[in-house]
Amino acid sequence: MGAFLVRKAAVTEWIRSLAREQPLFFPQPVGRSGFRFQPLREGSEVRFDHYRPSVVPPGRQLTPAGEVLFRYRTGEGGVPGFESVLDASPRILAGVRPCDLRGIYLMDRVNREGRDDPHYLTRRANTAIIACDCLAPCDDFCFCETVGSLRWREGADLFLTSVDGDFLVEALTPLGESLLPGTGFARCEDVAGLRARAEEVRVRPFGRHFALSPERIAAILPGLWRSPVWENCGQRCLSCGSCNLVCPTCYCFDIQDDFDISDPSSGDRRRNWDGCLLPNFAEVAGGHNFRPQPSARQRHRVKRKFEYLVGRLAEGSFCVGCGRCGRQCTVGIDIFDIVSELVAVAEPPP
Amino acid sequence: MKPKVAFFDFAGCEGCQLTILDCEDLFLDLLERVDIVEFREALSETAPRFDVAFIEGSIHREEDAERLREIRSRSTLLVTLGACAGLGNVQARSNFLSPATNFRRVYGEEELNRVQADPEFWPLWAHTRVRSVKEVVPVDYELRGCPVVAEEFLHLVKSLVVGTVPHVPTVAVCVECKMQENECVFDRGETCLGQITYGGCKAVCIGHGYRCDGCRGLLPQANLEAHRQLLRDKGLDESRILERYRLFGSAEAWGRERRP
Ligand code: SF4
Ligand code: SF4
Repeated sequence: MGAFLVRKAAVTEWIRSLAREQPLFFPQPVGRSGFRFQPLREGSEVRFDHYRPSVVPPGRQLTPAGEVLFRYRTGEGGVPGFESVLDASPRILAGVRPCDLRGIYLMDRVNREGRDDPHYLTRRANTAIIACDCLAPCDDFCFCETVGSLRWREGADLFLTSVDGDFLVEALTPLGESLLPGTGFARCEDVAGLRARAEEVRVRPFGRHFALSPERIAAILPGLWRSPVWENCGQRCLSCGSCNLVCPTCYCFDIQDDFDISDPSSGDRRRNWDGCLLPNFAEVAGGHNFRPQPSARQRHRVKRKFEYLVGRLAEGSFCVGCGRCGRQCTVGIDIFDIVSELVAVAEPPP
Repeated sequence: MKPKVAFFDFAGCEGCQLTILDCEDLFLDLLERVDIVEFREALSETAPRFDVAFIEGSIHREEDAERLREIRSRSTLLVTLGACAGLGNVQARSNFLSPATNFRRVYGEEELNRVQADPEFWPLWAHTRVRSVKEVVPVDYELRGCPVVAEEFLHLVKSLVVGTVPHVPTVAVCVECKMQENECVFDRGETCLGQITYGGCKAVCIGHGYRCDGCRGLLPQANLEAHRQLLRDKGLDESRILERYRLFGSAEAWGRERRP
């Protein structure tokens, strides 16, 4: 696959030209501090340098809130007919950072586990990803390096690395390659040298670090079921669910049916984002709730990210270290702090 | 037979009924499914019995409470429309003042003297207490918001018509904010009641640059202790906090609690 060294202005121009051909989602500022992956329009800014993680991760474009899964219609003799709704329209996610790229990679795995999820996978198959490296942490909440996301590249079709003011543009897949013709970018031979140059200027250590590796964290968690840490954050938690909904690897959903008022024999089934911190999440028929206390919900979340899914799919960590949940929790509950406390209790520093 | 539906208003601005009338195209489809037998905003008929009674407005005087009980006795289901019927809304803040003080604030000393001296002038001025509908009669469903959300109204009516259980959101406004990808009000340096308030509104206020003031009511699981501490940390004093909690929910527990 090709690699190119390109002036920043030319990269910007190329992104703009891609956006004229198909929807291209690029992080754009909202309000004072937020970012949103939105379709790039004429006149929108294309900047790579002042990014902070978007309110919701780019991967959420692959499971939009309230997406229709299928439509139904009752035909002759009351026989229902179903029509699956799959979105195969092409799109590009650009400016995706390594943490979110790993998030999408993990969601790819989840949606292929057991029975394929055709809704996710159809969107995914028609989505090209232009990722972009981070050479400095986005802010104080970031901890991507310690969970193994910082140098993540799998899942990207093109990968951009800033090198001394220019961009190293690497095509990682044929799909990525197909977005380059006509650009006239100059091929570059010394990819290794340029990458080494970027690595040299990368901030070290990068963001916050756990005292233990993700593997060790997964190993100590089973012994911490009764830790007071859960109750402590449970008391402060407002059960607003924000931490779930902004997470690149939270994918739980709720299903609702709706019918047309003009013809009640036809309608659709939709799915909406859900989250395990929401109080009724674990409520089942008959009204029993398996996790009525916020502390139990907090424990569940942490164990999902650092133990359960990690074991099931043999991945290092399901938390990608983007820092969104801690950044957006209004009462300052940060999964990095929770895990650090657990680590300190289980393996006190010598 | 089409279900009979009736609308009644008590103390409120009738904005909820107008919101419903406003979704004209849907409303016409709806008329195919239900018979509207009473609706002051749209018709003048009336009926002895109905399947669903929608109540808008808060209950102020004993004669209003009587009328409400009478409506309840004629209807199979009773649904409140909006924050006035559901929570008492802003008018319930007068519950914390004596009727005379309240009257003076609004109309002045002279009018107060007159209303107290002349029984003919405004006989019912000193109402008892502003109540939400559920304080007077049992309520089957609550449509929240100030005003209600037209889609939620439609969803409820559709469910009642075909006999399915309506989906009533019991999650915080924050969930809606995230779905709309709003910048959090706290990140703008302001404070918000979204975390403890029923969602279902698509976070419209926040999406338009304001904050959540809690018009949809306090979530049953709300961690008020922690939320109050958060507002304190953001620099609000106790009286400001109480004011914020009481704005829409004065007839509710969170408005009434006096804990410092
Ligand atoms: S964002 Fe914070 S307050 Fe809200 S549910 Fe998550 S931990 Fe609790
Ligand atoms: S703005 Fe308010 S409702 Fe929205 S996320 Fe923040 S606290 Fe929640």
